[in-house]
Amino acid sequence: MLDFLVQRAAISVVTLFVISMIVFTGVRMIPGDPARIMAGTDADAAGIEEIREKYGLKDPIPFQYLRWVGLALRGDLGHSIRTREPVVKTVATKLPITIELAFLSLLLAVGIAIPAGVLAAVRRNTFWDMLASSASLCGVSVPNFWLGIMLILFFSVRLGWLPASGFVPLRESPLDNLQRMLMPAFVLGIALAAVLMRQTRNSMIEVMSADYIRTAYSKGLAGRAVVFRHAIRNSLIPVVTILGLQMGALMSGAVVTEQIFVVPGFGRLIVESVFTRDYPLVQGVVLITASSYVLINLLVDVSYSLLNPRIRIKGSPGDS
Amino acid sequence: MTPSATATAAVVARAPATEPAGGWHRAWRQARRRPASAVGAMVVLLFVAMAIGAPWIAGVDPLQTDWKQVRKAPTLAHPFGTDDLGRDTFSRVVWGSRISMQAGVFSILLAIAVGVPIGLVAGFYRGALDQVIMRLTDAWLAFPFLILAIGLVTIMGPSLMNATVAIGLGATPTYIRLTRGLVLATAAEDYVQGARALGAGDVRLMSRHVLPNIASSLLVQATISIPIAVIAEAVLSFLGLGVQPPAPSWGTMLNAAQQFLETAPWLAWWPGLAIFSLTLSFNLAGDGLRDLLDPRDY
Repeated sequence: MLDFLVQRAAISVVTLFVISMIVFTGVRMIPGDPARIMAGTDADAAGIEEIREKYGLKDPIPFQYLRWVGLALRGDLGHSIRTREPVVKTVATKLPITIELAFLSLLLAVGIAIPAGVLAAVRRNTFWDMLASSASLCGVSVPNFWLGIMLILFFSVRLGWLPASGFVPLRESPLDNLQRMLMPAFVLGIALAAVLMRQTRNSMIEVMSADYIRTAYSKGLAGRAVVFRHAIRNSLIPVVTILGLQMGALMSGAVVTEQIFVVPGFGRLIVESVFTRDYPLVQGVVLITASSYVLINLLVDVSYSLLNPRIRIKGSPGDS
Repeated sequence: MTPSATATAAVVARAPATEPAGGWHRAWRQARRRPASAVGAMVVLLFVAMAIGAPWIAGVDPLQTDWKQVRKAPTLAHPFGTDDLGRDTFSRVVWGSRISMQAGVFSILLAIAVGVPIGLVAGFYRGALDQVIMRLTDAWLAFPFLILAIGLVTIMGPSLMNATVAIGLGATPTYIRLTRGLVLATAAEDYVQGARALGAGDVRLMSRHVLPNIASSLLVQATISIPIAVIAEAVLSFLGLGVQPPAPSWGTMLNAAQQFLETAPWLAWWPGLAIFSLTLSFNLAGDGLRDLLDPRDY
């Protein structure tokens, strides 16, 4: 168990290291001279040279990389070119908004997907199964930004029930905040719900044909008890892994959703930083996104091994 | 060489030749058993036909502006209405299928072309090389698809070509992992071991024995990733990072439509419906294909 966790953590550290190299190289591949951009449009040659000197852009590349990683490990990701604010500070103000959005959509997705998946599996090949499976197929196929636009069209423009955009901080007014987060959370959660429902159904079907389920039935347990006490718990183990892997999709989805509903979160920050060519911000934001994906999946692996002690690393990861 | 080994080799060599007839027969049976998948496949083919035949189907030039016909609701002359520059929305949706198909299919072809050989080598040779490849793939996978695509487009500049490459590279690690896993399972099979015992070289083993046996799983994965790539192109174009106006991409059309939701809602209906029906049909067809190629009962 401990071996497994240590090995998994070591792999994550290697992955984080590779990620930092990719981000660093990637940002240096962006066309244009960073010093010139940082100096602004009206800077002269001397000003540009000064910035080059100040930010160590004349040092050898490996040296620049090590300094960047060193600073990043101490929580310093540099300053935004546009606002001159520390990148970490900007991210810290935006991230909670996206975390709230992600949490709400996760809640929504799990709340829809798991009961629907279990129902579809237990009542397999009935009307309910067909309905759940069709809904899941639509959920996977619908482009979420179009769904967002359609919801705005219907609930805001046509019916005027919900505000189309705008954001109210949770602390200011929880009710107004939730009212404005409802549609974004639904749009973001729907694809996740579709994937989770399918996974729950398949894994439930597999578990229901296992020997211990037959044993449970044959020792006289009622159907409901078998489903609730034995089947659901075991079938949710693979669902947890899918949930971890879906975090990337959730982050991608947040970019689009926040764009449509004008939610001033982390996803909008990514797009803004790209459009304003704010390279330190792009670099920091991408690094944070990829790192948090790795850490979330490390946590998923840990919880996975806690849920199911049979799991051990066999050979190398990726085998399973 | 023992007679039985020769016989095995002969059977292995002959097996693919007999497959198509059985495959077609099964396909027909499946189509009758799963009408939804058959319909899905037909709609996908319709979109392909629309993409190829766009100049004849659309009728009107998708870039032709008409200032007397700005944001007009659907009529007989303009069945999907006109946009804010008086362009025919129907024509733009039809031409948009070309861009979506191009982005969807070519990006996944790129992902297969890059990912499958890498996964093949990693799974076949294992060892240190495999470890290096897998760590790189882990890191690659840690960048959410869209974030990676946005990053790449930032480096390369926004265009259909670059969006396609970015989506393709975003999908590549999935193919590396899938191929590697399939190769690990296949390489241990008796027929591969048999071929190796008969003296087949690595390249021959990989191309003649391993690859044909994992091809169907890769094909199924392609039917899953193409609709994702189609949506990804629409998203990138929607964000202004893909196809640039005035080219008729469904994503850019939706971006423009957002400003006129109150006065011209039809501008948002059609491009979105087009994306939705294309991806839904792809997924339906893909489900059928999966059943056809992988008869496990789900």
